[in-house]
Amino acid sequence: MKIGAFIPELLRHLFKKPATVDYPFQKLEVPRDFRGSPYLRPELCIVCRACERDCPAEAIEITATNEAEKRFRMVIHNDRCIHCAQCVDSCPTDAMQMDTRFEISDYDRHNLKMEWEYVRAVVKPKSEPKTS
Amino acid sequence: MKFQIPIGPQHPALKEPISLRMTVEGEIIRDADLRLGYNHRGLEKLAEQKTWIQNIYLTERICGICSHSHTTCYVQGVEKLMEIEPPKRGQYIRYLVSELERVHSHLLWLGVAGHEAGFDSFFMYTWRDREIVMDILETISGNRVHYGINTIGGVRRDLDEQQVKHILDSLAILRERSEYYQHLGTNEPSFVARLAGVGYLSREDAIALCAVGPTVRASGVPMDVRKDDPYGIYGEVPFEVCTADTCDVLGRTVVRIKELFQCYNIIEYLLKNLPSGPVAVRAPRRAKPNEVVSRYEAPRGENIHYIKSNGTDKPERLKVRAPTLGNYAATIKMLKNGFIADVPLIFAAIDPCICCAERAVALVDARSGQERIISMNALKKLSRQVSAGNARKREAEWPL
Amino acid sequence: MATVKTLIYLIVYPGLLFLFLYSTFVEWYDRKLYARLQNRMGPTHTGRFGLLQPIADFFKLMAKEDIVPDRADRKMFSVLPAVGLAIVFTAMLLLPVWNYSLDRPSVTSFNGDLIVLLYLLSLPTFIFFLAGWSSTNLFSTIGGARVLTMLFGYEVPLFLAVLSPAVLANSWRLAEIAAFYRQRPALALVNLLGFVIALICVQAKLERTPFDIPHAETEIVGGTFTEYSGKKLAIFRLMMDAEMVVAAGLLATVFLGGFPGGALLGLVNFIVKTLVVVFFLSLIRATTSRIRVDQVVSFAWKYLAPLAILQLLIVILVKGLIS
Ligand code: SF4
Ligand code: SF4
Repeated sequence: MKIGAFIPELLRHLFKKPATVDYPFQKLEVPRDFRGSPYLRPELCIVCRACERDCPAEAIEITATNEAEKRFRMVIHNDRCIHCAQCVDSCPTDAMQMDTRFEISDYDRHNLKMEWEYVRAVVKPKSEPKTS
Repeated sequence: MKFQIPIGPQHPALKEPISLRMTVEGEIIRDADLRLGYNHRGLEKLAEQKTWIQNIYLTERICGICSHSHTTCYVQGVEKLMEIEPPKRGQYIRYLVSELERVHSHLLWLGVAGHEAGFDSFFMYTWRDREIVMDILETISGNRVHYGINTIGGVRRDLDEQQVKHILDSLAILRERSEYYQHLGTNEPSFVARLAGVGYLSREDAIALCAVGPTVRASGVPMDVRKDDPYGIYGEVPFEVCTADTCDVLGRTVVRIKELFQCYNIIEYLLKNLPSGPVAVRAPRRAKPNEVVSRYEAPRGENIHYIKSNGTDKPERLKVRAPTLGNYAATIKMLKNGFIADVPLIFAAIDPCICCAERAVALVDARSGQERIISMNALKKLSRQVSAGNARKREAEWPL
Repeated sequence: MATVKTLIYLIVYPGLLFLFLYSTFVEWYDRKLYARLQNRMGPTHTGRFGLLQPIADFFKLMAKEDIVPDRADRKMFSVLPAVGLAIVFTAMLLLPVWNYSLDRPSVTSFNGDLIVLLYLLSLPTFIFFLAGWSSTNLFSTIGGARVLTMLFGYEVPLFLAVLSPAVLANSWRLAEIAAFYRQRPALALVNLLGFVIALICVQAKLERTPFDIPHAETEIVGGTFTEYSGKKLAIFRLMMDAEMVVAAGLLATVFLGGFPGGALLGLVNFIVKTLVVVFFLSLIRATTSRIRVDQVVSFAWKYLAPLAILQLLIVILVKGLIS
């Protein structure tokens, strides 16, 4: 046992740059594949509803606004989303994507809602929906 | 002079709500009592209403620190139910994340132990270095806490060369730092004085009270699911079960530090022998009626999930036995005849995760020994009765 | 004119205002140093380098709701912070910074002021004990009991350690002791052991790690101060900062040769020397972990007290040699 075993380490760091970052004035980069919030690329969505079915937080809501014209509306309730990216995995056409934003807090949960209204796309799915 | 002090449900030493009531004489604890139920979230019931795949993310949220432990335990069970076997590469990545999680959990624990002992510099340094492993986890899984890397039939993300190299490089730093903490943790006199001999749990008691994880290993019992009942790839990975025989908090610290080095070895082995191939197989949506018990060695001890399927795409029952629950009985034993000053340390030494362990409110009537479930209204009434009977005390008593 | 002078003396310099500002500065210094030793940043944003952070904290607490517990002794509970602050500020006036002149002792410099200063430094401990006691909260009561238990440990070694330089200098007056060691700097080395002991005891008196037992947050929440909030807590915190300045000043006077150089240079000396002492105190705080109250008492009586007596013996020997 040694008295003051920690002192050399402490004094060494006295003259070093702090390990912490001066957030929110400085920000660190998030890694490339960071799971931020999901967003839709409506031109690819074939409305297979795999994302809606697999979302564990029930954050995705797809409704038909006009059956004849094949118009659909998708709402992603970002306030409920748990950022698991399961929707991205489930989507057969890459229509669902993740961004890398992490500062998404808001005073009103309704501001977090994202909405798209679009005509169903006709694309060939890369694969069958993965988990059906 | 005896009096009762409450620790919790809200207390700076506890990051989660639990109530410890201690009867103390001066600074010495004569009796301790543990009350649970402040953090019950109805997770098991919720699991019955979600599909197999949705439940991965639900079980992940049982605990923040060992999130991967719970999903892996669950996913292992579901894979057995669905009779699928994840590909080798997927398994290697899955258990790689497991070991990384163990590293981060043990480093976190070291810091917490330092903080509970009032050794804040130690806390700051271990947590700074824990960031290294958090960063690794973030780059390979996309998130710092809820990695979400497991899926039924494998893992969701693959590793590339660059990441492998990054992990191996960071491991070198972590190794060096862990050696330093080992040296420091056993050399700083004021720290050792706080840990040694505190929270004694004999080998016999540890076995009798069904303690798990580092707590039981620090009492000299080499119990580790990874060795005793190897799951996944643990049958083929060389590693040792770390034990200590001091039976106290110092022993639990030593076990955890030793385990860190084992983890580094396992991680290195996994990365060096990473097989090629796919990382996941397609999983069916339904599972045949069956039941399964899945065991997993979480950083805090043995984690058990019992899963029952009924042929639909939802589980019929999911029962979770988190490691902390296994350690509660031993904690009471350890607290008795200790100092008040040691409560946070002893309690922290089991690395409690209270929300993991909160499952149901069962009240045990001390006199009749009968167990009964009490409704909220009855509870309220009861509390009113008790508080009405108490005379207001003005004179406090001398606690010396 | 004399009244105005007295008023300025009391309110501006070295009275309330200066002491307030300097105490908060020392708190900032301590916090920043502690943070940098831990590879953190410490306060950065309020004022330049976060210099105003302690003041901001003080005013923030002042504005917070002030609650007196139902069962507490209301009068006692409310009056303690003010009394404590008054005691510490009075003690501050005894430091030979503002009354440096040796030939014309002012009211605050007299033979025996060392004893008075030590006595005034003991009082805050009792204030803490009473504060804990009058809150009637269990945690506070335990905190209060711990304050007293610790007092039995460190008080005697502290007195012995501080008195030995006085014995060597053959004076009980702070300014004279300081002057003595300024003339014979070599003799200050004799007291090195005493200085170390006094540093440790002062750390215990200020209830900082490893002796922050009375308000060990992970064990007994806020300890003595659990029930204090708002203005009263703000004043208690200010009082502890000021106590740190006084204790550092005391050590600088008796061990480091005081603050020579008249009004201005003396002040500079004062600031530099107290910061040096506080540096050591922060270093102790960063290096150690909290120990148990029984360990404090046994440590104090097993090691500190015998060493302090040894120091006294050395001093007596040296005194015999030089005379
Ligand atoms: S990220 Fe997860 S929670 Fe969010 S919308 Fe997609 S599936 Fe749902
Ligand atoms: S899974 Fe993809 S294609 Fe299907 S509905 Fe969702 S976004 Fe559209």
